[in-house]
Amino acid sequence: MLEFAAWVESTQTSKTLFGTSWLWPACESLHFIGLCMLIGGAGLLDLRLIGMFRGVPIRHVKAMMPWAIGGFLLNAGTGALFLIMQPHLYLSSGVWWSKVAFIMIAAANALFFETRLAPSALSMDADADTPRMLKVVGACSLVSWFAVLYCGRMLPYLGTGN
Amino acid sequence: MALFRSLQNSAFTEWFLGSASIWTYPTVLTLHTVGMAILVGASFVIHLRVLQVAGDIPMRRLLPLYRFIWVGFAINLLSGLILFVTEAADRVVDPVFYVKMASIAAALWLGVIVKRRAIDPEGASDVAMGLSRSMAAASLALWTIAIVAGRLMAYLKSAA
Repeated sequence: MLEFAAWVESTQTSKTLFGTSWLWPACESLHFIGLCMLIGGAGLLDLRLIGMFRGVPIRHVKAMMPWAIGGFLLNAGTGALFLIMQPHLYLSSGVWWSKVAFIMIAAANALFFETRLAPSALSMDADADTPRMLKVVGACSLVSWFAVLYCGRMLPYLGTGN
Repeated sequence: MALFRSLQNSAFTEWFLGSASIWTYPTVLTLHTVGMAILVGASFVIHLRVLQVAGDIPMRRLLPLYRFIWVGFAINLLSGLILFVTEAADRVVDPVFYVKMASIAAALWLGVIVKRRAIDPEGASDVAMGLSRSMAAASLALWTIAIVAGRLMAYLKSAA
């Protein structure tokens, strides 16, 4: 894995990108903005699934989701750039792999919702309480996205031998 | 200035930044990011709705989001104060810091005005007025500036 990281870092693409001094802070800023879009948009749906915001049908909340997905894509893109610029920082970090694992959990959870639960959830009444399965899926999403945030922010400090 | 210098050079700062524990600087920094996600995330949703995104959501039903805004703000005010103390002398002469503070104040203020105009009124139209929409858009732009300024501050620390 570290040989792969060393190879990526030896490529001209990686060197050029990392040598562009403004690119890293610009990507960091975009990564933070994308995070707010993702947690704001997805968080609203998660809270509705848990049972808050009664009076709003789930299908109406879902109309906010393209913005959450936009935030996710922004972060996937800027995250890929970090990875290309400094792969050894991430590929050698257990915390980074935990972050990837939590993204996978959040994605699998969203996929489960979309394929199995959405059809019935989207036709529910505005005031309807949600069945236990929807509450679990909403809570799982919230917890995993905040775990992603935690791993990302703590990455430079956790598991560094301190 | 002497006060800010003494804060930055205090025993507290030395312990807070020098400690090998993850429970000092790293945890407060992470709390500052969690608070941002809650505060700006909730503001983002409200302002998008005012701008007619997910236009079927009744505006008044989003009122509870303002509780999230204030909880997120409280987390960041506290964590931000601690972070400020440990860099006080650097920050009071850092224009980017003032840009961040001014953007946050203006973004929050616009958020409160938008609440009063477009969300609070019983039976308010679900289509926000032009002025509320402009304020929502301005608030979103100001949050973006605050985030960028906050990120840039990390690059403007003195070496000392």
